[in-house]
Amino acid sequence: MPHLSILVDYAPLFLTGLWHTVFICVAGIGIGLFWGLALYLASTVRWASLRWLVRAYVNIFRGTPLLIQLFLLFYGGPHFGLRFSAMTTGILSLALYSAAYFTEIYRSGFQNIPIGQIEACLDLGLTPLQTLVHVKIPQMLALIIPSVIGQTISMVKESSLLSIITVPELTAAAAKVSTLTFSIVEPYLLLALAYWLLIVGITKCGELWERHQVRYLVLR
Amino acid sequence: MPHEPGNEVELWDLWKSFGSTTVLQGIDLQVRSQEVICLIGGSGSGKSTMLRCINGLEVFDRGKIYIRGHLFDAMGKSTAERRFVRRSRQSVLNTLCMVFQQFNLWPHMTVLKNIMTPLELVKKLPRQEAMDRAHAVLAKVGLLDKQDDYPAALSGGQQQRVAIARSLGMEPSIMLFDEPTSALDPALVGEVLTVMRDLAAEGMTMIIVTHEMGFAAQVADRVVFLADGRIEESGPPKTVFGAPRSPKLQEFLKTWSQRNAPLS
Amino acid sequence: MFDFTVIARHLPELFRGAGETLFVSLLSILVGFVCGHLLCFGRMSPQRLLRRLCIAYISAIRGTPLLVQLAIIFYFLPLANINIPALWAAVICLSVNTAAFQAEILRGGFQALPAGQTEAAYDLGLTPWQIRVFIQIPQVFRATLPSLFNETVNTVKNSALISTIAVTDLMRVSQTLASTTFRPIESYTVAGAIYFILTYSISKFGLALERKLDIH
Repeated sequence: MPHLSILVDYAPLFLTGLWHTVFICVAGIGIGLFWGLALYLASTVRWASLRWLVRAYVNIFRGTPLLIQLFLLFYGGPHFGLRFSAMTTGILSLALYSAAYFTEIYRSGFQNIPIGQIEACLDLGLTPLQTLVHVKIPQMLALIIPSVIGQTISMVKESSLLSIITVPELTAAAAKVSTLTFSIVEPYLLLALAYWLLIVGITKCGELWERHQVRYLVLR
Repeated sequence: MPHEPGNEVELWDLWKSFGSTTVLQGIDLQVRSQEVICLIGGSGSGKSTMLRCINGLEVFDRGKIYIRGHLFDAMGKSTAERRFVRRSRQSVLNTLCMVFQQFNLWPHMTVLKNIMTPLELVKKLPRQEAMDRAHAVLAKVGLLDKQDDYPAALSGGQQQRVAIARSLGMEPSIMLFDEPTSALDPALVGEVLTVMRDLAAEGMTMIIVTHEMGFAAQVADRVVFLADGRIEESGPPKTVFGAPRSPKLQEFLKTWSQRNAPLS
Repeated sequence: MFDFTVIARHLPELFRGAGETLFVSLLSILVGFVCGHLLCFGRMSPQRLLRRLCIAYISAIRGTPLLVQLAIIFYFLPLANINIPALWAAVICLSVNTAAFQAEILRGGFQALPAGQTEAAYDLGLTPWQIRVFIQIPQVFRATLPSLFNETVNTVKNSALISTIAVTDLMRVSQTLASTTFRPIESYTVAGAIYFILTYSISKFGLALERKLDIH
């Protein structure tokens, strides 16, 4: 029979780990959203080499395991003089990885804007910049919500990998409790539950947010 | 052929192909000031394409378009050329506004914002003046009470009237209508046609692509029938509907009247 | 500065690791495909208990990290006196994982089928089983093929995690290589390149298959 007292004794450890996980994910995804937008905008420039570079970036970061990217940054970084803490490395790695996905999410968001709206902008005489700022971007932001939520959930799960490079996040906390208490079942089940609750929470928030946005967006 | 003063829009020998399909085959058309022209024809006859060439949404291959005396030549294929053309057209094209079949209102803005935005961004009006003008055109189409609603809360007919108001706000001299009622429930068509009728009575120059023959019969100064990218017949509604000469037009009207009330 | 010749000497080991990675991934995908279908049918079943169980399973797997699932399977099994080689534990875990994702992909495909087709089939007298096999599954397969290939690529990438439970896959080999040659950049870059070739090939194959089946 599992001893639930373990969980109570080591609650601070778990909570610190949870806080670190949340911080890492918010930071990583936040940076990734901006970096992904920059990459997307770069890919719309009329310069073939730049478009190719962004293409290559997206393919490489989405076509290789996050673990390899993490190790390259963490173990290989010092060779280039990049000596970051484990947590910074982890956040950076998550940011670079998620940006590759966000680039494509932005692209599909812009492409799904009904073309008639852009034609109305052209007809009324708005400049391309005005069209982008006042019509394209607001619509795109609403269209990409499900994908962004999905990607956030992915990143929360991937953040568990950071425990391998000794970042003191949630999975590492569970592993630590496990070794300290010589028990396996309780810490790891709690760990699974913690992630599950986190992800269910994010999903629910996403649904609420989408319902709020879509109330005026479904227009044909 | 030179431009004649008094003509708002002139099309001279307009040709347009999409890939291997030639959609417009040598269109000649002159539209005088305050004239109301209705373009009719089957699908694929080129009516919408012609309209979209006039306001620059489509780039035509051969021919000339005059808008208020300004000449627009057939465009080169390069995107840079097209972009320059669009920008240099703005000063002229501000006299031209289109009302779309799908309304194309911006769903993330209220009705008022939809109308104010082009006034502020393009006409560079200060906020208060833009708002006043927006209120004026909204009142004209009878939707002032809906100014703070989002388009999704409005019926199709109401949305189209807002779209007309948005175009009106720009104070165009010429208005283009691309099948404005085709996407509407039959019950909602009437309110839009009423607004259009009032505009015509006030002297707006209008080019309307429509399937509403009854409306064309009552409001148009001239009806133009297109088939296979050519103008088959053109003239006052009484002549075109009452005594059609072209066999294609006769066929077209026969199919139409089999399902609708007689026209004249 | 970089010395890839050191790595070149160890290419055979890397390829052996890649072979292990491919074996585990492809086997897991296939098992996951079959189990995914079963899960999907259970998820759509009219029997409430079965449906609830499947929903719970899918939610639990999709809502927790693979690393945690690996740890649970790897550490819990010995407690229950089940001792299996790490390799098969890895296959089990990856299969369990991908089955849940594939079940959701397939469910989306089934829900997107126009209801009229099933109704017409019932009307013509086909049994539910016949409808499922001859009408629904072929269409769902075509519709979900892109997503399924995407999930295949994900499984190959996820397989890198089995290195943490001591399976000598490509990731593990590259780790060993990095520590013995003191050249982490070269080791991980080459391993990354091999992973990339694997996933890129799978994607391209998927596109070719879609084109052949005339999807688009």
